[in-house]
Amino acid sequence: MNTRKFASINGLDRRDFLIQGSGLVSAALLAACNSRGPKSANKLLNYAERKNLIVERKLFRHTSMDVVQSGAHEAGNKLPSYFIAPTVPVWDESARGKWALEVSGLVGNPVRLSLDDLQKLPQVSNRVNHYCVEGWTAVETWTGVPFTELARLVRVDPQAQFVDFQSFDDDYHESWDIESAMHKQTVVAYGLDGKMLEPAHGAPARVYSPIKLGYKNTKYLTKIVFMPKMNGGYWSDQGYEWYGGT
Amino acid sequence: MRAGEARLGKKRHHWIVRTTHWVNVVAIIIMVGSGLRIFNAYPAFARKGEMFCCYPFEHKAIPAWLTFGGWLGGARHWHFAMMWALVNGLVYLTFIYLHGDWRDLVPRKGDIRDSWQMVKFYTFRRKDHPHQGKHNALQKAAYFLLPIFGALAVVTGIAIWKPVQLAPLTSVFGGYVWARYWHFIAMLAIVILSVVHVFMVFAVDPYSIPSMITGNYNERNSPESRNARPFYHLLPRNMSIDFRIRRRRV
Repeated sequence: MNTRKFASINGLDRRDFLIQGSGLVSAALLAACNSRGPKSANKLLNYAERKNLIVERKLFRHTSMDVVQSGAHEAGNKLPSYFIAPTVPVWDESARGKWALEVSGLVGNPVRLSLDDLQKLPQVSNRVNHYCVEGWTAVETWTGVPFTELARLVRVDPQAQFVDFQSFDDDYHESWDIESAMHKQTVVAYGLDGKMLEPAHGAPARVYSPIKLGYKNTKYLTKIVFMPKMNGGYWSDQGYEWYGGT
Repeated sequence: MRAGEARLGKKRHHWIVRTTHWVNVVAIIIMVGSGLRIFNAYPAFARKGEMFCCYPFEHKAIPAWLTFGGWLGGARHWHFAMMWALVNGLVYLTFIYLHGDWRDLVPRKGDIRDSWQMVKFYTFRRKDHPHQGKHNALQKAAYFLLPIFGALAVVTGIAIWKPVQLAPLTSVFGGYVWARYWHFIAMLAIVILSVVHVFMVFAVDPYSIPSMITGNYNERNSPESRNARPFYHLLPRNMSIDFRIRRRRV
């Protein structure tokens, strides 16, 4: 069948074909825009994330420290407050008893620490950046127990390669590689900008480290569990990178 | 042999140049689209509790149709996967360094004068197309600047990917907030250069499109021999004469 015949059968001449064809192509391109891209690419994207994870863990140095730029202002009450529950999660003492932080898993000496216990442990205040996955940063001073002090207290088993930070903000949790948890700037924080942590920012205690993106820093802590394997996380399971390191 | 004249059997673009060019097209489109989707999660530069001096559209989102990836997490996956495609740029630069093609692109004495002559020609203040080598002076400047902005985009991108682990790099650009800004500016420069490039290809030298696929280019069709301005003298000289004759006969 020659082209002319084909065209006449379909009631199209070449010009119409070109116009309508290019219209279709551009419509398809427009539809592809703002989409998640082809499904078949997911395999490639997952592969890339796994490879990037190796690169990111290789880049990690315990000696790399977050430094706040001179002249940077503290965010103060401009620090956004995020939680997944419909309302600000507040520990209900009458229903659940006194709040305590359980540190357990692959450890020699599991403990339950009240807020008073935490405050009696060695204390640091770090004025550091908060890196949000969305792209903003905020300078704050976080006060709390260095994570390494907690690890020493519970005597971590060498087989523990990951740490899960669990919360009472619904089922929110995020698991970390142990190197990031043992970084000097990682603290279990109960103070923000010189005051006790408020419910809006994760009271009574939260994990805080500038070496992880905001969503990895679980608020409203209930449990810290040392594990042999990684355990995903609330946002990681929804498709954000598990590593989330800065 | 005059400069710019194609030697027989020599291709205008080496296959490595052609391949890296088209890989770059895909990489730039995906990196810009997914980058803008990431940007839209916080379409501003100010640190929380501060103002930012140098971006007039703080907190105004980029139109969604310009973005790619669908959602923040998806766009981040595309961005961090496709960043490896930028190794392609390194292949290109290494090749043109080893193969000598860089000589067609580096600025030389007289380029500013030649650029000015091109501007005069394009704005009808000069009759004849200025004499040129492989590229005209304005093209040369664009193809020289593009890898520079590309490198800036890559380096600032790494700086905001790992602002703590690579803190010394991030501080070179003035810290995270500014590195993120320079990353955006580099993207903007690449987009502007690319858009102008594509426009000029269609408006002045569409014959260069097949040459970027097959490598072959007929110098008879070059803008210089056609005396071509945007949308002027798109057809080769002889061909336009043919048309005139034919029309007269009809």
